[in-house]
Amino acid sequence: MDCRLVPSVCSYCGTGCGVLFSVIDGTLVGTYPIKTHPVNEGSLCIKGWNLHEHITSPKRLRNPMIRRNGQLQPVSWDEAIQEAASRLRTVVEEHGPDSVGVLTSAKITNEENYLAQKLARTVIGTNNVDHCARL
Amino acid sequence: MKDIVRTWLESGRIDLFLGYRLVDGHPIPHCFSKERLEEVEQLTESLARYPLEKIAHQMLQKDPAVRIGLMARDCTQRSVRVLAAWNQIDMDRIRVLTMSCCPSDAKDKAFCSYLQEPETGPVRKSNGMPSTGDPDDCRVLPAEERLRRWLYEFQKCIKCYGCRDICPVCFCKDCGLEHEDLMDKGVVPPEVPLFHLIRAVHMAGRCVDCGLCEEACPVGIPLRLLYRKVNGIVTDRFGYRVGQTKDQSPFNVLGEFSPLELSSLDD
Repeated sequence: MDCRLVPSVCSYCGTGCGVLFSVIDGTLVGTYPIKTHPVNEGSLCIKGWNLHEHITSPKRLRNPMIRRNGQLQPVSWDEAIQEAASRLRTVVEEHGPDSVGVLTSAKITNEENYLAQKLARTVIGTNNVDHCARL
Repeated sequence: MKDIVRTWLESGRIDLFLGYRLVDGHPIPHCFSKERLEEVEQLTESLARYPLEKIAHQMLQKDPAVRIGLMARDCTQRSVRVLAAWNQIDMDRIRVLTMSCCPSDAKDKAFCSYLQEPETGPVRKSNGMPSTGDPDDCRVLPAEERLRRWLYEFQKCIKCYGCRDICPVCFCKDCGLEHEDLMDKGVVPPEVPLFHLIRAVHMAGRCVDCGLCEEACPVGIPLRLLYRKVNGIVTDRFGYRVGQTKDQSPFNVLGEFSPLELSSLDD
Protein backbone atom coordinates (compact mmCIF):
# COMPACT_ATOMS: atom_id res chain seq x y z
CA MET A 1 0.00 0.00 0.00
CA ASP A 2 1.16 3.49 -0.86
CA CYS A 3 -0.07 6.39 1.27
CA ARG A 4 1.10 9.92 0.62
CA LEU A 5 0.16 13.21 2.26
CA VAL A 6 0.73 15.99 -0.23
CA PRO A 7 0.74 19.66 0.81
CA SER A 8 -0.85 21.94 -1.73
CA VAL A 9 -2.79 25.18 -2.13
CA CYS A 10 -6.58 25.28 -2.53
CA SER A 11 -7.51 25.94 -6.14
CA TYR A 12 -10.96 27.40 -5.50
CA CYS A 13 -10.36 31.10 -4.74
CA GLY A 14 -7.54 33.59 -4.42
CA THR A 15 -7.17 33.32 -0.64
CA GLY A 16 -4.58 30.58 -0.99
CA CYS A 17 -5.41 28.27 1.92
CA GLY A 18 -2.92 25.50 2.57
CA VAL A 19 -4.40 22.05 2.09
CA LEU A 20 -3.09 18.56 2.62
CA PHE A 21 -4.28 15.83 0.28
CA SER A 22 -4.28 12.25 1.46
CA VAL A 23 -3.56 9.97 -1.46
CA ILE A 24 -3.93 6.22 -0.98
CA ASP A 25 -2.72 3.98 -3.81
CA GLY A 26 -2.81 6.90 -6.25
CA THR A 27 -6.38 7.94 -5.42
CA LEU A 28 -7.21 11.19 -3.67
CA VAL A 29 -9.34 10.21 -0.69
CA GLY A 30 -9.30 13.24 1.58
CA THR A 31 -8.42 16.89 2.13
CA TYR A 32 -7.27 18.43 5.41
CA PRO A 33 -6.32 22.00 6.25
CA ILE A 34 -2.61 22.56 6.91
CA LYS A 35 -2.55 23.40 10.61
CA THR A 36 0.49 25.64 10.53
CA HIS A 37 -0.27 27.42 7.26
CA PRO A 38 -0.08 31.20 7.75
CA VAL A 39 -3.15 31.85 5.57
CA ASN A 40 -5.82 29.53 6.93
CA GLU A 41 -4.27 28.44 10.27
CA GLY A 42 -5.89 25.02 10.27
CA SER A 43 -9.34 25.93 8.94
CA LEU A 44 -11.05 25.58 5.57
CA CYS A 45 -14.39 26.48 4.04
CA ILE A 46 -16.76 23.82 2.74
CA LYS A 47 -15.26 23.99 -0.75
CA GLY A 48 -11.74 23.43 0.48
CA TRP A 49 -12.77 20.49 2.64
CA ASN A 50 -14.22 18.76 -0.43
CA LEU A 51 -11.41 19.51 -2.91
CA HIS A 52 -10.68 15.81 -3.41
CA GLU A 53 -14.20 15.15 -4.67
CA HIS A 54 -13.99 17.10 -7.92
CA ILE A 55 -10.93 15.17 -9.06
CA THR A 56 -12.93 11.95 -9.30
CA SER A 57 -16.36 13.48 -9.95
CA PRO A 58 -18.22 11.97 -12.92
CA LYS A 59 -19.37 15.53 -13.69
CA ARG A 60 -15.79 16.67 -14.23
CA LEU A 61 -15.18 18.28 -17.64
CA ARG A 62 -12.28 16.38 -19.16
CA ASN A 63 -11.94 17.98 -22.58
CA PRO A 64 -13.21 21.06 -24.46
CA MET A 65 -16.73 20.79 -25.87
CA ILE A 66 -18.81 22.80 -28.32
CA ARG A 67 -22.59 22.83 -28.25
CA ARG A 68 -23.89 21.96 -31.72
CA ASN A 69 -27.59 21.46 -32.40
CA GLY A 70 -28.24 21.53 -28.64
CA GLN A 71 -25.73 18.76 -27.95
CA LEU A 72 -22.31 19.16 -26.31
CA GLN A 73 -19.67 17.52 -28.49
CA PRO A 74 -16.03 16.88 -27.56
CA VAL A 75 -13.59 18.79 -29.76
CA SER A 76 -9.87 19.53 -29.88
CA TRP A 77 -8.39 22.54 -28.06
CA ASP A 78 -7.52 24.19 -31.41
CA GLU A 79 -11.07 23.83 -32.60
CA ALA A 80 -12.52 25.16 -29.33
CA ILE A 81 -10.25 28.22 -29.28
CA GLN A 82 -10.94 28.90 -32.95
CA GLU A 83 -14.68 28.68 -32.30
CA ALA A 84 -14.49 31.02 -29.28
CA ALA A 85 -12.37 33.54 -31.22
CA SER A 86 -14.58 33.63 -34.30
CA ARG A 87 -17.79 33.93 -32.25
CA LEU A 88 -16.24 36.75 -30.18
CA ARG A 89 -15.17 38.48 -33.40
CA THR A 90 -18.74 38.23 -34.73
CA VAL A 91 -20.14 39.75 -31.52
CA VAL A 92 -17.62 42.62 -31.62
CA GLU A 93 -18.30 43.32 -35.31
CA GLU A 94 -22.08 43.27 -34.90
CA HIS A 95 -22.52 44.98 -31.54
CA GLY A 96 -19.24 46.86 -30.87
CA PRO A 97 -16.37 46.10 -28.47
CA ASP A 98 -18.28 47.26 -25.37
CA SER A 99 -20.70 44.40 -25.79
CA VAL A 100 -17.93 42.16 -24.47
CA GLY A 101 -16.77 41.92 -20.85
CA VAL A 102 -13.69 40.11 -19.61
CA LEU A 103 -13.86 38.52 -16.18
CA THR A 104 -10.47 37.49 -14.86
CA SER A 105 -9.68 35.13 -12.05
CA ALA A 106 -8.24 35.02 -8.55
CA LYS A 107 -6.83 31.59 -9.29
CA ILE A 108 -4.46 32.65 -12.05
CA THR A 109 -1.22 34.58 -11.70
CA ASN A 110 -0.82 38.37 -11.76
CA GLU A 111 0.88 38.01 -15.13
CA GLU A 112 -2.03 36.05 -16.57
CA ASN A 113 -4.47 38.64 -15.21
CA TYR A 114 -2.37 41.33 -16.86
CA LEU A 115 -2.49 39.49 -20.18
CA ALA A 116 -6.26 39.08 -19.88
CA GLN A 117 -6.88 42.81 -19.42
CA LYS A 118 -4.37 43.55 -22.20
CA LEU A 119 -6.36 41.28 -24.50
CA ALA A 120 -9.57 43.04 -23.46
CA ARG A 121 -8.25 46.59 -24.01
CA THR A 122 -6.02 46.20 -27.06
CA VAL A 123 -7.44 43.26 -29.01
CA ILE A 124 -11.16 43.44 -28.23
CA GLY A 125 -11.10 47.17 -27.49
CA THR A 126 -13.12 47.44 -24.28
CA ASN A 127 -12.48 48.60 -20.73
CA ASN A 128 -15.08 46.16 -19.39
CA VAL A 129 -12.66 44.25 -17.21
CA ASP A 130 -13.59 42.81 -13.85
CA HIS A 131 -12.50 40.13 -11.47
CA CYS A 132 -14.19 37.11 -9.93
CA ALA A 133 -13.37 38.27 -6.42
CA ARG A 134 -15.83 41.17 -6.91
CA LEU A 135 -18.71 39.06 -8.19
CA MET B 1 11.77 7.09 18.78
CA LYS B 2 13.37 6.87 15.33
CA ASP B 3 15.11 3.66 16.39
CA ILE B 4 11.83 2.09 17.49
CA VAL B 5 10.12 2.94 14.22
CA ARG B 6 13.07 1.66 12.23
CA THR B 7 13.06 -1.59 14.21
CA TRP B 8 9.32 -2.05 13.78
CA LEU B 9 9.52 -1.50 10.03
CA GLU B 10 12.63 -3.64 9.55
CA SER B 11 11.30 -6.55 11.59
CA GLY B 12 8.00 -6.48 9.71
CA ARG B 13 5.90 -5.87 12.83
CA ILE B 14 4.29 -3.05 10.90
CA ASP B 15 4.11 -2.34 7.16
CA LEU B 16 3.70 1.42 7.40
CA PHE B 17 4.16 4.09 10.06
CA LEU B 18 2.17 7.31 10.23
CA GLY B 19 4.17 10.09 11.85
CA TYR B 20 5.31 13.59 11.05
CA ARG B 21 8.18 15.14 9.15
CA LEU B 22 9.07 18.73 8.39
CA VAL B 23 8.18 19.97 4.90
CA ASP B 24 9.41 23.54 4.32
CA GLY B 25 9.35 24.06 8.07
CA HIS B 26 5.82 22.74 8.54
CA PRO B 27 5.16 19.51 10.41
CA ILE B 28 3.21 17.40 7.91
CA PRO B 29 1.93 13.86 8.43
CA HIS B 30 4.02 11.32 6.54
CA CYS B 31 3.70 7.63 5.89
CA PHE B 32 7.04 5.91 6.54
CA SER B 33 7.68 2.52 4.97
CA LYS B 34 10.25 -0.27 4.89
CA GLU B 35 11.05 0.53 1.26
CA ARG B 36 12.12 4.06 2.21
CA LEU B 37 13.76 3.40 5.58
CA GLU B 38 16.16 6.32 5.17
CA GLU B 39 13.21 8.69 5.58
CA VAL B 40 12.79 7.63 9.21
CA GLU B 41 15.69 9.97 9.97
CA GLN B 42 13.27 12.86 9.23
CA LEU B 43 10.65 11.63 11.73
CA THR B 44 9.72 14.41 14.12
CA GLU B 45 7.27 15.25 16.88
CA SER B 46 4.73 17.87 16.00
CA LEU B 47 2.95 20.56 17.93
CA ALA B 48 0.31 20.68 15.21
CA ARG B 49 -2.16 17.81 15.36
CA TYR B 50 -3.68 15.91 12.44
CA PRO B 51 -6.16 13.02 12.73
CA LEU B 52 -3.63 10.29 11.91
CA GLU B 53 -6.07 7.62 13.09
CA LYS B 54 -8.59 8.86 10.52
CA ILE B 55 -5.97 8.40 7.78
CA ALA B 56 -5.16 4.94 9.19
CA HIS B 57 -8.89 4.13 9.13
CA GLN B 58 -9.04 5.07 5.42
CA MET B 59 -5.98 2.91 4.73
CA LEU B 60 -7.54 -0.06 6.50
CA GLN B 61 -10.72 0.37 4.50
CA LYS B 62 -8.66 0.00 1.32
CA ASP B 63 -6.58 -2.89 2.61
CA PRO B 64 -7.75 -4.57 5.85
CA ALA B 65 -4.56 -6.64 5.99
CA VAL B 66 -2.10 -3.75 6.27
CA ARG B 67 -0.42 -3.22 9.65
CA ILE B 68 -0.01 0.40 10.62
CA GLY B 69 2.08 2.08 13.26
CA LEU B 70 0.79 5.36 14.63
CA MET B 71 2.51 8.21 16.37
CA ALA B 72 -0.12 8.65 19.04
CA ARG B 73 -1.04 11.20 21.63
CA ASP B 74 -3.42 10.31 24.46
CA CYS B 75 -6.37 11.54 22.37
CA THR B 76 -5.22 9.43 19.39
CA GLN B 77 -5.17 6.34 21.59
CA ARG B 78 -8.66 7.07 22.87
CA SER B 79 -10.05 7.42 19.36
CA VAL B 80 -8.30 4.21 18.24
CA ARG B 81 -10.15 2.44 21.07
CA VAL B 82 -13.45 4.05 20.06
CA LEU B 83 -12.96 3.12 16.39
CA ALA B 84 -12.21 -0.46 17.45
CA ALA B 85 -15.26 -0.56 19.73
CA TRP B 86 -17.42 0.50 16.77
CA ASN B 87 -15.85 -2.18 14.55
CA GLN B 88 -14.22 0.40 12.29
CA ILE B 89 -10.67 -0.84 12.76
CA ASP B 90 -9.06 -4.03 13.91
CA MET B 91 -6.89 -3.33 16.98
CA ASP B 92 -4.47 -6.05 15.86
CA ARG B 93 -3.67 -3.97 12.77
CA ILE B 94 -2.68 -0.88 14.75
CA ARG B 95 0.43 -0.42 16.85
CA VAL B 96 0.80 2.87 18.65
CA LEU B 97 3.97 4.70 19.56
CA THR B 98 3.16 7.03 22.42
CA MET B 99 4.36 10.60 22.14
CA SER B 100 4.49 13.12 24.92
CA CYS B 101 1.44 15.35 24.87
CA CYS B 102 -0.34 16.30 28.08
CA PRO B 103 2.12 18.32 30.19
CA SER B 104 3.66 17.07 33.39
CA ASP B 105 6.62 17.99 35.55
CA ALA B 106 7.88 14.48 34.96
CA LYS B 107 8.28 15.14 31.24
CA ASP B 108 10.80 17.23 29.35
CA LYS B 109 8.34 18.56 26.85
CA ALA B 110 4.73 18.18 25.81
CA PHE B 111 3.58 18.38 22.19
CA CYS B 112 0.02 19.59 21.77
CA SER B 113 -1.32 22.65 20.00
CA TYR B 114 -4.08 22.80 22.59
CA LEU B 115 -1.63 23.97 25.22
CA GLN B 116 -1.54 27.40 23.60
CA GLU B 117 -3.80 29.95 25.28
CA PRO B 118 -6.89 30.73 23.17
CA GLU B 119 -7.29 34.31 22.02
CA THR B 120 -10.46 35.97 23.21
CA GLY B 121 -11.54 39.41 22.04
CA PRO B 122 -14.02 41.78 23.76
CA VAL B 123 -17.01 40.72 21.59
CA ARG B 124 -16.48 37.05 22.38
CA LYS B 125 -16.15 37.90 26.07
CA SER B 126 -19.49 39.73 26.22
CA ASN B 127 -21.46 37.48 23.81
CA GLY B 128 -19.77 34.11 23.66
CA MET B 129 -19.21 31.19 25.95
CA PRO B 130 -16.25 31.15 28.34
CA SER B 131 -13.15 29.96 26.50
CA THR B 132 -11.77 27.83 29.31
CA GLY B 133 -13.46 24.71 27.91
CA ASP B 134 -14.77 23.73 31.35
CA PRO B 135 -18.56 23.15 31.51
CA ASP B 136 -18.51 24.14 35.20
CA ASP B 137 -17.35 27.64 34.25
CA CYS B 138 -20.57 28.08 32.26
CA ARG B 139 -22.82 27.11 35.12
CA VAL B 140 -22.11 30.36 36.94
CA LEU B 141 -24.14 32.09 34.20
CA PRO B 142 -27.96 32.07 34.52
CA ALA B 143 -29.73 29.65 32.15
CA GLU B 144 -31.16 32.40 29.88
CA GLU B 145 -27.74 33.98 29.60
CA ARG B 146 -26.19 30.64 28.70
CA LEU B 147 -28.83 30.06 26.03
CA ARG B 148 -28.26 33.52 24.57
CA ARG B 149 -24.53 32.95 24.45
CA TRP B 150 -24.84 29.49 22.88
CA LEU B 151 -27.18 30.85 20.22
CA TYR B 152 -24.64 33.61 19.51
CA GLU B 153 -21.97 30.96 19.04
CA PHE B 154 -24.14 28.76 16.77
CA GLN B 155 -25.28 31.57 14.46
CA LYS B 156 -21.63 32.21 13.53
CA CYS B 157 -21.49 28.82 11.79
CA ILE B 158 -20.57 28.92 8.07
CA LYS B 159 -21.49 25.24 7.65
CA CYS B 160 -18.06 24.14 6.46
CA TYR B 161 -18.56 20.71 8.06
CA GLY B 162 -14.94 20.99 9.23
CA CYS B 163 -15.88 19.77 12.72
CA ARG B 164 -17.25 16.58 11.22
CA ASP B 165 -14.60 16.17 8.53
CA ILE B 166 -11.66 16.40 10.93
CA CYS B 167 -13.31 14.33 13.68
CA PRO B 168 -11.38 11.06 14.13
CA VAL B 169 -14.49 9.23 15.36
CA CYS B 170 -16.93 10.50 12.68
CA PHE B 171 -17.15 7.55 10.29
CA CYS B 172 -20.85 7.20 9.31
CA LYS B 173 -21.45 6.76 5.58
CA ASP B 174 -24.76 8.63 5.80
CA CYS B 175 -24.44 11.74 7.92
CA GLY B 176 -27.53 13.21 9.61
CA LEU B 177 -26.10 16.68 9.04
CA GLU B 178 -26.46 16.17 5.28
CA HIS B 179 -29.84 14.46 5.39
CA GLU B 180 -32.47 16.43 3.49
CA ASP B 181 -35.22 15.63 5.98
CA LEU B 182 -33.19 17.10 8.82
CA MET B 183 -31.21 19.91 7.24
CA ASP B 184 -32.05 22.46 4.56
CA LYS B 185 -29.48 22.69 1.78
CA GLY B 186 -27.77 25.96 0.91
CA VAL B 187 -28.73 27.88 4.04
CA VAL B 188 -26.14 29.68 6.18
CA PRO B 189 -26.10 29.63 9.12
CA PRO B 190 -27.59 26.14 9.34
CA GLU B 191 -30.69 25.92 11.47
CA VAL B 192 -29.86 27.27 14.94
CA PRO B 193 -29.44 25.37 17.21
CA LEU B 194 -30.54 22.13 15.51
CA PHE B 195 -27.42 21.59 13.39
CA HIS B 196 -25.06 21.69 16.36
CA LEU B 197 -27.38 19.80 18.65
CA ILE B 198 -27.67 16.93 16.15
CA ARG B 199 -23.92 16.69 16.13
CA ALA B 200 -23.73 17.05 19.91
CA VAL B 201 -26.16 14.13 20.39
CA HIS B 202 -24.09 11.97 18.05
CA MET B 203 -20.93 12.90 19.95
CA ALA B 204 -22.40 11.80 23.27
CA GLY B 205 -20.61 8.61 24.27
CA ARG B 206 -18.29 8.86 21.28
CA CYS B 207 -16.32 12.13 21.53
CA VAL B 208 -12.74 11.52 22.67
CA ASP B 209 -12.24 15.16 23.69
CA CYS B 210 -9.32 15.74 21.34
CA GLY B 211 -10.48 19.26 20.46
CA LEU B 212 -9.61 18.97 16.75
CA CYS B 213 -13.14 20.19 15.86
CA GLU B 214 -12.68 23.36 17.82
CA GLU B 215 -9.25 23.91 16.28
CA ALA B 216 -10.65 23.45 12.77
CA CYS B 217 -13.66 25.73 13.30
CA PRO B 218 -13.08 28.90 11.24
CA VAL B 219 -15.46 30.94 13.43
CA GLY B 220 -14.33 29.66 16.82
CA ILE B 221 -17.44 27.90 18.11
CA PRO B 222 -16.51 26.24 21.45
CA LEU B 223 -17.43 22.76 20.22
CA ARG B 224 -15.15 20.97 22.65
CA LEU B 225 -17.04 22.57 25.52
CA LEU B 226 -20.37 21.44 24.06
CA TYR B 227 -19.25 17.84 23.58
CA ARG B 228 -17.61 17.78 27.02
CA LYS B 229 -20.99 18.70 28.43
CA VAL B 230 -22.87 15.89 26.62
CA ASN B 231 -20.13 13.39 27.37
CA GLY B 232 -20.27 14.41 31.03
CA ILE B 233 -23.95 13.47 31.07
CA VAL B 234 -23.17 10.04 29.57
CA THR B 235 -20.51 9.47 32.23
CA ASP B 236 -22.79 10.63 35.07
CA ARG B 237 -25.87 8.66 34.02
CA PHE B 238 -24.31 5.51 32.56
CA GLY B 239 -20.85 5.43 34.11
CA TYR B 240 -19.39 5.17 30.59
CA ARG B 241 -16.03 6.80 29.90
CA VAL B 242 -15.21 7.21 26.21
CA GLY B 243 -11.96 5.66 25.07
CA GLN B 244 -11.31 3.87 28.36
CA THR B 245 -13.09 0.65 27.46
CA LYS B 246 -13.56 -1.73 24.54
CA ASP B 247 -17.35 -1.57 24.89
CA GLN B 248 -19.61 0.50 22.70
CA SER B 249 -21.38 3.39 24.39
CA PRO B 250 -24.79 2.87 26.05
CA PHE B 251 -26.20 4.98 23.22
CA ASN B 252 -25.70 2.10 20.80
CA VAL B 253 -29.34 1.05 21.08
CA LEU B 254 -29.88 1.24 17.34
CA GLY B 255 -27.39 -1.46 16.43
CA GLU B 256 -27.38 -2.10 12.70
CA PHE B 257 -30.68 -0.31 12.22
CA SER B 258 -30.62 3.29 11.02
CA PRO B 259 -33.89 5.27 11.04
CA LEU B 260 -32.41 7.63 8.43
CA GLU B 261 -32.89 5.03 5.70
CA LEU B 262 -36.68 5.06 6.10
CA SER B 263 -37.10 8.08 3.83
CA SER B 264 -35.93 6.12 0.80
CA LEU B 265 -39.02 3.90 1.08
CA ASP B 266 -41.14 6.86 -0.02
CA ASP B 267 -39.17 7.40 -3.26
